[in-house]
Amino acid sequence: MMPIWTKSGEKRPVTLLKVQDCHVLRYVSKEESGGKTAKLLVGGKNVSPFSKPESAHEIFKEAGVPRKQKVTTFNVTDDAIIKPGTPLYAAHFRPGQFVDVTAKTIGKGFQGVMKRWGFKGQPASHGQTKTHRRPGAISTNKAAKVYRGKKMPGKMGNIYRTSFGLKVWRINTKHDIIYVNGSVPGHTNCLVKVRDSKLPTYKDCNKNPPFPTFFADGDEELPEDLFDEEMFQFTDPSVTFA
Amino acid sequence: RVSSDGKPPKFQPPPKPVIIDRKTQKEERRFLSPEFIPPRGRTAPLKYYIERKDMIQRRKVFNIPEFYVGHVLAVTTADPYASDKSKRFVGICIQRGGKGLGATFVLRNVIEDQGVEICYELYSPRIQAIEVLKLEKRLDENLMYLRDALPEYSTFDVNMKPVPRMDHEEIPVNKLQVRMKPKPWSKRWERPKYNIKGIKFELPEHKMKAAQKWSQPWLEFDMLREYDTSKIEAKIWKELSEELEK
Repeated sequence: MMPIWTKSGEKRPVTLLKVQDCHVLRYVSKEESGGKTAKLLVGGKNVSPFSKPESAHEIFKEAGVPRKQKVTTFNVTDDAIIKPGTPLYAAHFRPGQFVDVTAKTIGKGFQGVMKRWGFKGQPASHGQTKTHRRPGAISTNKAAKVYRGKKMPGKMGNIYRTSFGLKVWRINTKHDIIYVNGSVPGHTNCLVKVRDSKLPTYKDCNKNPPFPTFFADGDEELPEDLFDEEMFQFTDPSVTFA
Repeated sequence: RVSSDGKPPKFQPPPKPVIIDRKTQKEERRFLSPEFIPPRGRTAPLKYYIERKDMIQRRKVFNIPEFYVGHVLAVTTADPYASDKSKRFVGICIQRGGKGLGATFVLRNVIEDQGVEICYELYSPRIQAIEVLKLEKRLDENLMYLRDALPEYSTFDVNMKPVPRMDHEEIPVNKLQVRMKPKPWSKRWERPKYNIKGIKFELPEHKMKAAQKWSQPWLEFDMLREYDTSKIEAKIWKELSEELEK
């Protein structure tokens, strides 16, 4: 994570996400998948093929791509289908877009009720016998049972969570890095799924994104860094208020 | 001595003594700002490389002078609410923290009997100028104890003129021992964990001895805590000097 400054001198925290060897693996049509839209399977970071059996390599062999550490699905409309085997780059996103980021949160192991659910616990003194971090009462008398889903101690973290509506401030096309506003679930160097935002406020925010995706062998020559309009670039002189 | 011809030998003057000026031949002092050195961690080195590119870019446009803790600096920042749209603050640098673009330094001064500390970000675009008024290193790297010292040690004239410097070498070290206000202090500065050499402790002997109870003499032999930055520094210094020459 890094700070970034706007043109008016305000500081914003920003997370750097690297697009590492992303390839489209397979196209699943609407009827085949049984959902409302067609799906595209996309694989991330390259990894050694020797730790998994040959049967697991079928998808990757069809697409002609080395084995990937993570495979995710994206719901895609029919006019945005991409041929399996095409690489995906950071230039797929543009500065000014809004994005949802999903990842597995940091695993905290078996945790008590105060850390996991934010319960208040009991006082440290004034006669409390062996009761300082316990949940207290778990149900009422009339219910005569404990409801399903009662908040209790258990394994915390290591589940998929999404941060919605994060603004993209900057794209580095040379190293394939996306600068995303705010924080993102997951530990450093973990695998993350980045998707166009589904929030209703940002429905019309994406003005002319590269559709269906950015092709590196196309005619477009992008500069090394793409900045958002509001972002302060370090090539400019210091900010002054007129 | 027999000469080859019949003539007497020609007078050979003795060789002139060669004066080797040891002072000018001293190695050029290299100062690498501490925020360039990446901390120990599991972040990918690519992130530090990218951050360094941005820092170098900013340094090309705006000059960040070399300064240490203990220097007296004057910083002018842009402020939308001030009448001149800019603010100037003079103070002694107490601490330099943070790594990368978020590097900060804290300036302290006492204005009209009120101690004021302002934490500035080195790479913030709001800063318009940083001038070093007085160059002087102190015995410690963290002068937070000035909060509990007598106010005269933290007062600096706001309209101070920059002290002119003769050589471009050897920043003088001020071995000033600061006198403190009576206890209680904000931190127990006599404890060995702070390792402060710049305070004149006027505490009784038994209190100083009792403070040594918290010493951890095994820390300096702990090998897992060693972080040798010499090679990293050399690489970063090479990269920096190449980029800034362009």
